[in-house]
Amino acid sequence: MLIQGNRACALGALDAGVRFFAGYPITPSSEIMEAMAYELPRIGGVFVQMEDEIASICACIGASLAGQVPMTATSGPGFSLMQEALGYAIMVEAPLVVVDVMRAGPSTGRPTAPSQGDVMQARWGTHGDHPAIVLAASNVADMYRLTMAAVRFAQRFRTPVTLLADEVVGHMRESFSPELIGRYRLTSGDFDFTPGYLHPDLVREVHPPHLLGSKTHPHVTGLIHDETGFPTNDPAKSEEFLRELYDKVGNHRDELCLYDVKNEGKGRVCIAAYGSCARSARAAWKLADQEGLAVEVLHLYTLFPLPVEIIQTVARRVEFMLIPELNLGQYARELRKMAEHWTTVISMGKIDGTLITPREILDRVSGLVGKYESV
Amino acid sequence: MALEIEQFLHAKRLPHIWCPGCGIGMVTGSLLRAVVDLGLKREETVVVGGIGCSSRATGYIDMGTVHSIHGRALAFATGIKMARPDFTVIVITGDGDGAAIGGNHLIHACRRNIDLTCILFNNQIYGMTGGQLSPTMDQGDRAATAPYGQVEPAFDLCRLAEAAGASFVARGVAAQIRPLEKMIKEGIQHPGFAFIEAVVPCPTEYGKRNPPAKVIDMLEGERARSVSQAKAAAMTAAELAGKIVTGVLHRDPEAPEFQRAYAAVAADAQAEAAEQAARGDGK
Repeated sequence: MLIQGNRACALGALDAGVRFFAGYPITPSSEIMEAMAYELPRIGGVFVQMEDEIASICACIGASLAGQVPMTATSGPGFSLMQEALGYAIMVEAPLVVVDVMRAGPSTGRPTAPSQGDVMQARWGTHGDHPAIVLAASNVADMYRLTMAAVRFAQRFRTPVTLLADEVVGHMRESFSPELIGRYRLTSGDFDFTPGYLHPDLVREVHPPHLLGSKTHPHVTGLIHDETGFPTNDPAKSEEFLRELYDKVGNHRDELCLYDVKNEGKGRVCIAAYGSCARSARAAWKLADQEGLAVEVLHLYTLFPLPVEIIQTVARRVEFMLIPELNLGQYARELRKMAEHWTTVISMGKIDGTLITPREILDRVSGLVGKYESV
Repeated sequence: MALEIEQFLHAKRLPHIWCPGCGIGMVTGSLLRAVVDLGLKREETVVVGGIGCSSRATGYIDMGTVHSIHGRALAFATGIKMARPDFTVIVITGDGDGAAIGGNHLIHACRRNIDLTCILFNNQIYGMTGGQLSPTMDQGDRAATAPYGQVEPAFDLCRLAEAAGASFVARGVAAQIRPLEKMIKEGIQHPGFAFIEAVVPCPTEYGKRNPPAKVIDMLEGERARSVSQAKAAAMTAAELAGKIVTGVLHRDPEAPEFQRAYAAVAADAQAEAAEQAARGDGK
């Protein structure tokens, strides 16, 4: 079927078992909410259009504490409004999914132009030291499968998960069928929606849920708290709690870091990309192939936690790592920290509200290789 | 009764943080007595607070309690209630939390007429942060951020709630705790959004800048300024100036409640889906 990215996102959420959605209209994400408004009442789920994005994520947290894995969707300005509550969800370990269909920013920016300007907002938007799981979708199939992955990660690690898309990924239409998904495909059988369910393999690492309505009638607070759920000012307990929040994500990069490597080990340049730029990177690789130039492509679906292992593996074997992205190098800076010991990391940023074309990437690659050869 | 409300308190978390003479504990006691009288079960009752002195009550109450973020208690509560319509959900908030930063959520919760009970502890000041002005502070009163007197007029929150669509609106004062308790009980039983303004003294931050400072005088003043709704109906605006009108000010049990209205719409959508599936055009 031919469907829009935003609709595929909604379908992925529904197939993953999401039965609660609270949101507020904002371009270019509104179609996700519209699809949920249509579908959820039909299957006994809850849809509420709230008075703003703050209320939307807060209603989701409330539903999460009551046993749901809810979802909301927004764009940059709304994502900014959600940041305080997102930190609360991290602190109280409330599983939920936030989809940010990025527009060109800052501020109102260009609502119908794509960007990847919210990468660092997704990582560090809320105050304080905190872990973050951030995925990035590059096409319609990603919108479906990564939404499902986001639900699964949220539920397993009991933390909010952010899925980044951009205006082009959200609005484009592609031929799509869940059955055609190759890697990282999940089905509804991969989800257990028993409220407060904690996977047996994680019971030692993830704090048990403070589920409302359970026999323990818990206290839930955004204050630093200990295992009882009540606030503590004890320095040792405070640090222990925050480190545990970090570790439950950081210790599971194997599971959380999703990526594809194309042309593995071939060529002196690797194009590392995510979101719609990864589509251009893949096309650039094929163009290069036709022109007799070997290029490696690292397509990242997980931006955070940082996919340290694969980045360093690739960095060890290439001379240049080129990062095309629709911002001024937000993710390139992260990659540089991980990779610059072994390779030269080059940021290729664009902020004019248009996509980076395969030809633009290839020209940059040719330049790098030429530069290398002339040395 | 004292023993009965103790079962709903975390004894280990006491003593509480409230100052001597603060009215929040008095009203929290009323809430717990109402809970006992109504026979609510702690596993099916959730108390949601925001941030501020009043919201701290969530840490002492032994039920499902959520100490949420500043101003957003009603939004959290909306999510909880929609996810679990079988729960009794009670929101405790203050005049800063509920009427300033959370004012938008308050009017929309009223408009939806969702079956929550919102008890707003109005002490006319930001106590926890050190006595800054609040939107319910009387014009001319002093605060840490109104050293020359509050310039702005005060909100009448009960009129606001009624105009926004709340189907149960009441006001009581800590000085008359039994009537207030009855309002809370009726509010919890009311099948729609119940807004109860509890006027409480803050001797520490309000009293020290706005005499009388002694809590007994503050309570006595509140009692003296209170006028029942029945009496107020026969009074002129001039006579009502500076008075606190108490009682159940508005009640409409027939007003459509959000969760039930949603369930009816969802039932229609499900019937439509079943029909489409039968015709073979489900998607």
